Amino acid sequence: MINIKKFTYQPGEHEAEKASNSYLMSLVALIAGLPLPIMNLIATLVFYVSNRKGTYFVRWHCTQALLSQLSMLFINSFGFWWTVSIIFSNEIITAKYIAYIIVALIFNITEFIVTIYTAIQTRKGIHIEWWFYGNLTNLICRTGL
Amino acid sequence: MKKTIIQGLIIVALFFSAWFFLSKIDWLSIFKIEKLSSTTEEKLGELFWEVFQKSEKENNNPFVVNSIDSLITKICISNKIDRETIKVHILYKDDINAFALPDGHLIIYTGLIEHSDNEQELCGVICHEIAHIQQRHVMKKLVSEIGLSFLISISTGSGGSETIRETAKLLSSKAFDRNLEKEADIKAVDYLVNAKINPGPFADFLYKLAGEESEVTNYFTWISTHPDSKERAEYIVEYAKDKTANYKTILTQNTWQKLKVQ
Repeated sequence: MINIKKFTYQPGEHEAEKASNSYLMSLVALIAGLPLPIMNLIATLVFYVSNRKGTYFVRWHCTQALLSQLSMLFINSFGFWWTVSIIFSNEIITAKYIAYIIVALIFNITEFIVTIYTAIQTRKGIHIEWWFYGNLTNLICRTGL
Repeated sequence: MKKTIIQGLIIVALFFSAWFFLSKIDWLSIFKIEKLSSTTEEKLGELFWEVFQKSEKENNNPFVVNSIDSLITKICISNKIDRETIKVHILYKDDINAFALPDGHLIIYTGLIEHSDNEQELCGVICHEIAHIQQRHVMKKLVSEIGLSFLISISTGSGGSETIRETAKLLSSKAFDRNLEKEADIKAVDYLVNAKINPGPFADFLYKLAGEESEVTNYFTWISTHPDSKERAEYIVEYAKDKTANYKTILTQNTWQKLKVQ
């Protein structure tokens, strides 16, 4: 799920703090923005944009945090609107709905735990690449900016 | 690049397969959702029926009750509907109206029986209301109109009697969502055809009332609460066009005529 890898260079203290903050941003906004699933994405996006001219290490982790938030947005938005339609319209609670909410919760909790762990490790200057998201970030985030 | 795509697809597959397998579990029984909602519905049905029972006079004439019961039993048997789930109440009122309450309570006003030209017309309206009951439209309407939490508070006795009266009035005087009405009409045609009752007069009934609507609006409650009756009659005719069966009457002509004057 997560791999500790050697980064192309050893990030400095300031860089590690900023990179770690990109994950913390999503966590804080997730708690503050509940139940709206978009708040954490907006917070991460704002942080990403403000750091797009930052160092490679910071940009890399901002991108990984953003990508993970983006995929959670799809899962959570669908669940959110499904719930809204049950409360306010003619939809009824089905086994399918409950199963969806359980799976969405499992994915969210996993992402939450991994995000906390990554935030802690990144703060120490340790480079962590997530399964799939790490590879995707490597494709998107280039060294030469 | 290829590795990343495969990993992405694995995550997507993992999500959907987990959803698929988890949805096979009967969560509704585990969380007792169905039990909770059926108890709530039962309680609401009783409360609303009490409102009408107190304000209107029930027609308990055995001839009328048995005749209507013959019609409903025939419709239920032909459509594999548990007859016990439909609780019919005939009330003395000139309004041309019939409506469903939660938990299968079906209220029919004597005005509807009097103004139906034949049993097929009456059966059409009854089938329409049974369709609302079978498709669980009543609870859906209540939830969307007044909210789930409020409904539960009424059923647990926290709602005032005025609120219950207002909500009961809402059920008798306000139409369902347009899509639900159409669904009930189409289902009603199926019920009628299965029971070998000609659906044509049901459409005629709507045409007839739509035409007379402007003249005597006061009594045509069922039509005024069910908008676009002409359009409804048209799609009923269209849907019933391909359906043919050996149509029969349930009651004898004599019984029907007697029923209308009782």
